Amino acid sequence: MPPRWAQLLRRREILVTAVIIIVVAGSTASHPYFWASGNLAFIFADSVVITFLALGESFVMIGRGIDLSVGAAMGLSAIVVGFRIQNHGMTLLPAVLLGAGLGVALGLGNALLVGVVRLPPIIATLGTLSVYSGLEFVVTNGNQVDTIPSSITNLGSHTVLPGVPVILLLTLPFVLLSAWVLRYTAFGRSIYAVGDDAEAAYRAGIGVQRVVFLTYVISGLFAGLGGVAFLIYTSGASSTTGINDNLTAIAAAIIGGTALTGGVGGAFGALVGSVFLTVTLTAMSFAHVSDVWQPAGVGVLVLLAVVYDSRSRAGGTRRSPRRQRGAR
Amino acid sequence: MTATLDLPRRWRLPVWGTCLVIAIAAELIYFTLTTRQFAGHGTGMLDLTEQFAPTGVLALGLAMVILTGNIDLSCGASASLAAVTAGTVLAKGGGPVLAIVAAVAVSTLFGLFNGLIVAFVGIDSLLVTLATQFIVTSIATSVAGASPPFGFPSAFTLIGQGSVNDIPIALLVFLVIGLLVIAAVGYTGLGRSLTLIGYSPRAALYSGIAIRSSLTAVFTLCGAMSGVAGVLLAAYYNSAQPQIGTDLLLPAITAVILGGMDIFGGRGRIAEVVLAVFLLGFLSQGMLIEGDSSLSITMITGLVLIGALVIKFAFERNFRQRMSARMHRFRTLSRDAHG
Repeated sequence: MPPRWAQLLRRREILVTAVIIIVVAGSTASHPYFWASGNLAFIFADSVVITFLALGESFVMIGRGIDLSVGAAMGLSAIVVGFRIQNHGMTLLPAVLLGAGLGVALGLGNALLVGVVRLPPIIATLGTLSVYSGLEFVVTNGNQVDTIPSSITNLGSHTVLPGVPVILLLTLPFVLLSAWVLRYTAFGRSIYAVGDDAEAAYRAGIGVQRVVFLTYVISGLFAGLGGVAFLIYTSGASSTTGINDNLTAIAAAIIGGTALTGGVGGAFGALVGSVFLTVTLTAMSFAHVSDVWQPAGVGVLVLLAVVYDSRSRAGGTRRSPRRQRGAR
Repeated sequence: MTATLDLPRRWRLPVWGTCLVIAIAAELIYFTLTTRQFAGHGTGMLDLTEQFAPTGVLALGLAMVILTGNIDLSCGASASLAAVTAGTVLAKGGGPVLAIVAAVAVSTLFGLFNGLIVAFVGIDSLLVTLATQFIVTSIATSVAGASPPFGFPSAFTLIGQGSVNDIPIALLVFLVIGLLVIAAVGYTGLGRSLTLIGYSPRAALYSGIAIRSSLTAVFTLCGAMSGVAGVLLAAYYNSAQPQIGTDLLLPAITAVILGGMDIFGGRGRIAEVVLAVFLLGFLSQGMLIEGDSSLSITMITGLVLIGALVIKFAFERNFRQRMSARMHRFRTLSRDAHG
């Protein structure tokens, strides 16, 4: 039996949090400004959008699916909501509701294709990724959102405590709610069951198609909310918003301990994973690593997380032989 | 009583391939009727193929990987790296041959790297190539530097822009590679191993197929083809932007899927992927000529993909049900014969 601290480190959220603390401590030691309130607030605000996307992606991935379209759905929501705010003076609450509704609608597209038509998720969401990113362009029609009133963008820049922006506090309830749903509701447990073994879940009386359907709707919902968060944080949106965030969201979820092979993961992992990504990338630029290498940083982190997974969990589809070897 | 089964052995027309050919014909007729520039004295249509030949080469490499039930998300970025490498070699004064060799070598090595990780560390290829895609993007951007190389000697750009008897060289490259891949997948031991690995990894293992070396080989081949695609891109655009190939990843996957390749591996025909490349390529080029923007073309491509697959899946499910009904009847018959 390994000691208690080692057992705690087995939990991915805690391990990643420990690494975050190490990275922050190291960066602060070499660049005192890293610990400054402004910089920490920037890091947190920067990670909020990816947190939303990774949250939705976690639901889908735990159910052994994949959603390649979250970034495009987020961008589409940011554009539509942004134009309403910019041209019609929409206030925050209706904006959030509109973003959520739009996200649900976009998620329904994926949900129908995967849950009802039963296309393989990677193909279906690849198709909707093309459609949604094309729609982004059609909706913007060459314009872009660039004047969001400061009453809304203040949420992204103002801080409650030093270093903690308002927008992070607005995100936390969603993380907690997702964690509760995943961990303590019958629906949440059935997502894990479906992701671990759909056949067994079906025989245990779980409506597999219904569960899969709902995970994609939830993913769309969070992408829609992420779009509003994007507006708050960057105070603008264009036709290419979110195009590159699809894979980053998946990367954040994977780093947070959610496995593509389903049945493993959680909501806190999504939060911790995206904060970790942002902290590391910021630390890289503090260490004078050129921005060019930021994607490589993401890639290396994903590789490390995945290799670590295959060592600690004997993950992947080749589960059985290795688990036997490890269990002894 | 032992009944000798006389199963019908006539050659059947590939249904999906026929659909694709009909769709291509319909599309060509439509664009020729609506847009005068499309056919342009008969050679215009051929000239358009220069535009999508790189996507096609990329799709061929990817098709082999998907045939094994894996995927390579990094092949687009790998093509970028090849283009940038070729551009840099040319800018430093190297000859076209050296540039091509260097570009293809770099992305082949990168494919080998992917293959080794997938085959020997045993991590899901989606994850591995998701990660290496990020890494190779950075390398390509870094090699290209602040001002990516452009303006190459005509001996090099000829590959992407030149033609022999009105047939673009890029199209010839695509077709030759297409034939090679068709032959390799259909008529060699490696091809059979790839198909079996995709169809059932366990059956492949138990039949003594060298899974690891086959997987390494297929990723390496995919890398090499990304290299060729990158060279074609650099030659066609006469410049080497670090995003040049990355944007082709989605169209290439779309072509492979539309070509009827099963995303879970083991089923699909390379020839149909070639047809799908032409279908998608002419579709986007025709729409570009008609004045649509490239992003709304992306949208139409996505809709075509979804629509085609919904039809195909509905059709196949129907087909499978009929087949299983027939099998059931056959079993009952033979049981009666025995009993």
